[in-house]
Amino acid sequence: MQLYDIPVRTMNQPYIQMKNVCFSYNTEDGRPTNQVLKNITLTINRGEFVAVLGHNGSGKSTLAKLLNLILLPDSGSIIIDGKEVTSPDLSDDEVYETRRHVGMVFQNPDNQLVATVVEEDVAFGPENLGIPPAEIRARVDKALELVGMSEYRRHSPSRLSGGQKQRIAIAGIIAMLPDCIVFDEPTAMLDPSGRAEVMNIIRMLNRDRGITVLHITHNMNEAITADRVIVINDGELCMDDTPRRVFSQVAKLHSIGLDVPQVTELLYELGLCGVELPVDVLTYEECADLLIRKIEEKK
Amino acid sequence: MNQENSNSAGTVELRGVSYIYGRGTPFEKKAIDNINLTFEPGCITGLIGHTGSGKSTLVQLLNGLLKPDEGRILVDGVDIWDEPKKQNKLRFKVGLVFQYPEYQLFEETVRRDIAYGPSNMKLSGEEIERRVVESAKFCGLDEELLDKSPFELSGGQRRRAAIAGVIAMEPRVLILDEPTAGLDPMGREDILGGMRSYQRARNSTVIIVSHSMEDMARYSDRIVVMKNGRVEASGGRTEVFSRSDMLIGAGLDVPQITRLWEILKGRGIELPDDVFTVERACEVLLDLLRTDLQTVKGR
Repeated sequence: MQLYDIPVRTMNQPYIQMKNVCFSYNTEDGRPTNQVLKNITLTINRGEFVAVLGHNGSGKSTLAKLLNLILLPDSGSIIIDGKEVTSPDLSDDEVYETRRHVGMVFQNPDNQLVATVVEEDVAFGPENLGIPPAEIRARVDKALELVGMSEYRRHSPSRLSGGQKQRIAIAGIIAMLPDCIVFDEPTAMLDPSGRAEVMNIIRMLNRDRGITVLHITHNMNEAITADRVIVINDGELCMDDTPRRVFSQVAKLHSIGLDVPQVTELLYELGLCGVELPVDVLTYEECADLLIRKIEEKK
Repeated sequence: MNQENSNSAGTVELRGVSYIYGRGTPFEKKAIDNINLTFEPGCITGLIGHTGSGKSTLVQLLNGLLKPDEGRILVDGVDIWDEPKKQNKLRFKVGLVFQYPEYQLFEETVRRDIAYGPSNMKLSGEEIERRVVESAKFCGLDEELLDKSPFELSGGQRRRAAIAGVIAMEPRVLILDEPTAGLDPMGREDILGGMRSYQRARNSTVIIVSHSMEDMARYSDRIVVMKNGRVEASGGRTEVFSRSDMLIGAGLDVPQITRLWEILKGRGIELPDDVFTVERACEVLLDLLRTDLQTVKGR
């Protein structure tokens, strides 16, 4: 990521490639549990905004942790930015270097802030990377400006709202200049306005700063603005397409415990009652257009 | 016992209640500001408000975890602070499920964890067992899970076990602070549906704190909107959810269906006001399309 210039979004070049990735956790006595991820093959392009959906326990968060090398796969390979990070020849330094490129923001805003002053928290990442102090200063200021939290730089994080805390957590990642950020349900604990604040920042980072975004969420309305939606079910990649095509498969999503946006749901339910309407609709306006046309047709 | 089971039991009244955090320190904050409010049995009240609006403080006041600085809280006409030594009796009457309650499980088996509350109520072994099984059922927890360790369960199952532990005390007033945060759509429906059945079976008073307007549109009868420590609005679903500007001004949102409804009305379609859920919207639209269909046929 470039903090100072605005790069162009190029979405045709692979950034992350997973090939036949399998993963299982170990129990306390060292035996492997059931496979959490089964033979996942997936390519995320540079600059893409990808939403990841799946029910609790489907393997979404495990997938996220593999991308950041917090976990390593049992088999299969992961290539990030042309470098095979699963290769046994990779040195620890190279692993750390790759981690810097893929940042992660977690669900609970209280679990990821470490310092007692906002700007010190944002500086924590770059400090650990051994960046010179003057450069850290510049990065922290710029990162706080990007998330709109400059005026809070000397505040204590503990007195901020949930949405503001998440913005600080995001600034802390930005200050490490990542190419890609994985957001693991970053809005699950926030109120509606906090959710909107955080979503606006995520979209801005993707659109204006060219950051590749993987956004894990249970909120279907957050997923409709993504370039692509990936659905994980019981450790397998079960859908991978545009939001419109994924959400129009209402019955399939229901069968794996997921929702669709309420407007899509409404059109689907009407369809079940014999009113024929297309269901590949995601926005309020599109849905209203269709309904009005149908009502007028009947007149 | 007869008195406890009578239909009138379970009324909670707040009269001029205020609560101040950090009194006398530079961080002094009036979290609850002169609230007058009554919660009655026989309905589910949704408590909504932005982060920091005072929702969690309010629920802690209701079961006596915090003592109001001003005003009185009456449960079935008795001031809960009249006899502080009898507070544990109050806690049997007013059950509170905290946010992320799954972190509070501690027993060796799920059965013993759920039984912990009722065991402290001097009940017979049989009665305790009956309550454990029944409350597990309300929470959608399979009986075969009862003999497992809480740590063998998934996050969603642990959440249900924790809620069952409070329900097993058969409180007249059940308060749940964001019971569905972080759960997938199916988990949310299971838990809220279970709380609806519990409320109906016991005719108890249920209060649910939530950030999801869609969930509250579907599962609550009354809504209380909090803003900056005060009650911004309270009333039936229709009354509250039809005031979009007020909700947005309180840092909240309107249910997705309400958005669609406003667009349709704005474009001149005549529609009833009491529509906030997909089910109801579907009914209304079907009626509309069918009537028109019949007119066409009649010609």
